[in-house]
Amino acid sequence: MEQGSDIIIFFGRFHPLFLHLPIGFLALGFLMELLSRKDQFAHLKPAVGFVLALGALSALVTAVLGLMLAQAGDYGEDLLFIHKWSGILLVLFAFGAWWLHFKREKKPTLQIKRAYLGTLSIMMLLLAGAGHYGGSLTHGSTFLTQYMPDTMKKLAGIPVEAKGPKLIENLDEAVVYVDIIHPIMEQRCNSCHNASKKKGDLQMHTKEALLKGGENGAILEPGSAAESEMIKRVHLEENHDDHMPPKGKSQLTDDQVLLLEWWINEGASFDKKVAELQADEEVKTVLLTLSDPNANKTAVEILLAEGTGPFDEEKLNAYVNEGVAIKRLSNEDNWLQVTLYRKDSVDAILGRLAEDFPDQITWLDVKDTQLTDEGLVAVGKLKNLTRLRAEKTTVTDAGLAHLGELNFLESLNLYGTKITDTGLDHLSKLPNLRRLYAWDTQVSKEGATKFMEEASLIEVNLGYEVNMIDSLTVEVKPIAVSN
Amino acid sequence: MSRRIDLTNEYQYREMQSRTRRHFIKQCTTGLGSIALGGLLGCNRNAPVDPVPDLETYVRKQVPHFAPSAKRIIYLHMAGAPSQLELFDYKPELAKLDGKDCPQSLLEGKKFAFIQGVPKMLGPQAEFSPRGNSGMVVSDNLPHFSTIVDDATLIKTMHTDQFNHAPAQLLLQTGSPRLGRPSMGSWVTYGLGSENEDLPGFMVLVSGGNTPDAGKSVWGSGFLPSVYQGVQCRSEGDPVLFVSNPSGINGSLRKQTIDAINQINEKEYKEFGDPETLTRISQYEMAYRMQTSVPEVMDINDEPDYIHEMYGTDPGKTSFANNCLLARRLVEKGVRFVQLFDWGWDMHGVAEREALDTGLPIKCKPIDKAMTALVKDLKQRGLLDDTLVVWGGEFGRTPMQENRGGKEWPFKGRDHHTEAFPVWMAGGGVKGGFTLGETDEIGYYGIKDKVHVHDLQATIMHLMGMDHEKFTYFAQGRDFRLTDVSGKVVSKVIA
Repeated sequence: MEQGSDIIIFFGRFHPLFLHLPIGFLALGFLMELLSRKDQFAHLKPAVGFVLALGALSALVTAVLGLMLAQAGDYGEDLLFIHKWSGILLVLFAFGAWWLHFKREKKPTLQIKRAYLGTLSIMMLLLAGAGHYGGSLTHGSTFLTQYMPDTMKKLAGIPVEAKGPKLIENLDEAVVYVDIIHPIMEQRCNSCHNASKKKGDLQMHTKEALLKGGENGAILEPGSAAESEMIKRVHLEENHDDHMPPKGKSQLTDDQVLLLEWWINEGASFDKKVAELQADEEVKTVLLTLSDPNANKTAVEILLAEGTGPFDEEKLNAYVNEGVAIKRLSNEDNWLQVTLYRKDSVDAILGRLAEDFPDQITWLDVKDTQLTDEGLVAVGKLKNLTRLRAEKTTVTDAGLAHLGELNFLESLNLYGTKITDTGLDHLSKLPNLRRLYAWDTQVSKEGATKFMEEASLIEVNLGYEVNMIDSLTVEVKPIAVSN
Repeated sequence: MSRRIDLTNEYQYREMQSRTRRHFIKQCTTGLGSIALGGLLGCNRNAPVDPVPDLETYVRKQVPHFAPSAKRIIYLHMAGAPSQLELFDYKPELAKLDGKDCPQSLLEGKKFAFIQGVPKMLGPQAEFSPRGNSGMVVSDNLPHFSTIVDDATLIKTMHTDQFNHAPAQLLLQTGSPRLGRPSMGSWVTYGLGSENEDLPGFMVLVSGGNTPDAGKSVWGSGFLPSVYQGVQCRSEGDPVLFVSNPSGINGSLRKQTIDAINQINEKEYKEFGDPETLTRISQYEMAYRMQTSVPEVMDINDEPDYIHEMYGTDPGKTSFANNCLLARRLVEKGVRFVQLFDWGWDMHGVAEREALDTGLPIKCKPIDKAMTALVKDLKQRGLLDDTLVVWGGEFGRTPMQENRGGKEWPFKGRDHHTEAFPVWMAGGGVKGGFTLGETDEIGYYGIKDKVHVHDLQATIMHLMGMDHEKFTYFAQGRDFRLTDVSGKVVSKVIA
């Protein structure tokens, strides 16, 4: 099909505009006919013929426009056939109803009355049918039922799909096209390129269709994603006319694009399994999320994403009035962050906080206060604590013993305290500790190195050695040997 | 409906703002009589406001939309736009084209600030090597930065819409090339508040001998209440002008004066309901607290020697190194947004100090040292985890040599270039040792993973826990946001 001017398709595209007229007129005529049999609405009677005439004529115009639109060939043949013929029959029955109405006004025999009512009813059925199949052509056949509540779906016998994308159980054995690529296309491409709708003369719902391509030729260049029309269009700027999916539709995620590119680069095979294709680290990371969405997340990230139970807002406000900076981490969940600015009675405040919000406090900042080892007892009870800033306080090795139960502690700042190598022993069991700041303490380089050997995931920061070379050059080297 | 009320309120508020004493006297010429009549008829369009809201409630202390990875920002803006081709974007192909005429295809339909006719291509004026474990390619002009590449994300494919300094700086810092929008720091403090009641949430430090071309609007509050504008501190003399007591006035007298002024202002507010009066009240109070808090935080003499050596500071002077150290001290105290501007990167090659082969290395040395020290110092204090450091200019520079006036210049310089320039970020939840984007063979266009200025702003907001599309302010009849109508979070740089 030629792009550019095509007068037939130009007029054809008015079909979706005009089709609402016959729907309205004919349904109105039908309703008026029924209602006018009641005395209350008898005055409607003289207008029925006029409304039916409008309906029949607008149905004719709509049908002609529809036939013109069908010339564009963007639609699947089966559905189009049903829609086309139910539409044409509708026009015939609409004119029939009008004509019989006219006859009945002249000479109301029983036969004519019955024929009229029958025609009118069949016309309504055809109206519903043509309308419905037209909708399916434009929006896809699952448009109506997609958001139907599950209980209703069960009653109607429509298969209920599991929420979210289906997880792959055995990744290596999964067939790349069937289990990974097809679901992506189903989600992002097939609403316009499917069995019944083929925008740009392109269908993407089967292997054959993908290989056939669209009006501009092939969309896949097996072995080279960069040369594949489909990927080229994905990478166009969103405002570009040819960008896919079109602006306003849900876009592919970065991960989805990566997987599509990987599949094409690896030959766009329709039957190979994941294990049979080469995958680099980046692809492997993404693939892992297909069998476990949390695959690449740390325990702390999973904990924070899961959220925690609600807390007593009044108690929170009482602390705020007392001058304790305590507030939500975000509007999405109940996690709390606490910063203590006042220097005194820190241990006591921490004791109360641990009673009131044991599950909610996840970030705690008590730097540069009179915090002592006593206060760390309370801190040790905040079981979901992930970040603790206790730098420039008087805590010692003994206090660190109280932190042994903090299974989600990820970052611990103890710089400028009195801790030594001995204190590190209390921390080596913390499963999620990743960063320890121990600059300006008694922790030695050897102690830190030994500690990092034991707990290989922890990075200890002991500050830097500063070496002036000249006024403009300085050598600043990290003290601890990073692993 | 509520929108319309908002709009009416805003109209009244703007009108009140313009009804200053000067306007009053000016308008007297057209009729004191009508004013008297208005008073007699009891016309008071501005309903009295009672009680005076506490600024705590007026200033919405919002919680972020989602959990943030950065709580604070230090933005190092290199005003004038440093040359990416001598710092971060290694183009060996460009060296081969050195001295050849620029192809027409790169000039057609383009606007340049100074280039005329057909300029010559200019090869890289620095050596590059891969650095750190990540192998990020950085030039020899940045030996110090080369030691922290594994903590930084480098975006090589930034692009902007503006090829002159002032509009480009405004676009980068306020989201619009024209005046009147709030700056990034104002948005952030408006959304998240300050963490220190004694210091402003948004502070600005300037070095390099000049303020940025766009003037103080780059840290202005635009249509946000002016309490959110950046407060500029000087590193020489009084840190904040007019905050210290004049001679002969002691602290308690100053306190009494401020209390009295605030009482009058409160009365004023009850009568007219102008929110700017509230800003004024809170600023008087803040200024009083700043009399002790600012000299304390701005005095870098109490830092140990090795810290001074690390940064290359020069106490008592104005320098980028001093400002970097101050930035660390400010974020340590809980200041939300610290903005540094350093002037002098506009290397057109029309003078010796603007030459890329001789002037640029000299300019780079102290900056490279100080910015690296800042990142390392934040890191050893555990602050880099939740402090985002951003470094960059407002645009890039051309792969062609500038030929101002259509002639050849003795020094090697480059013109303004909007299509590709670098920004690096460190800490605050961005990846370390990661390079995003590729430019073409001569560094003219980004060819992969292009990042627009609005995308950068969206990403910075995202790291602070704000959804840039939801974070809006109603002004002049519509909702405004930092990224205006565009901007996409660059998720690839987020760790």
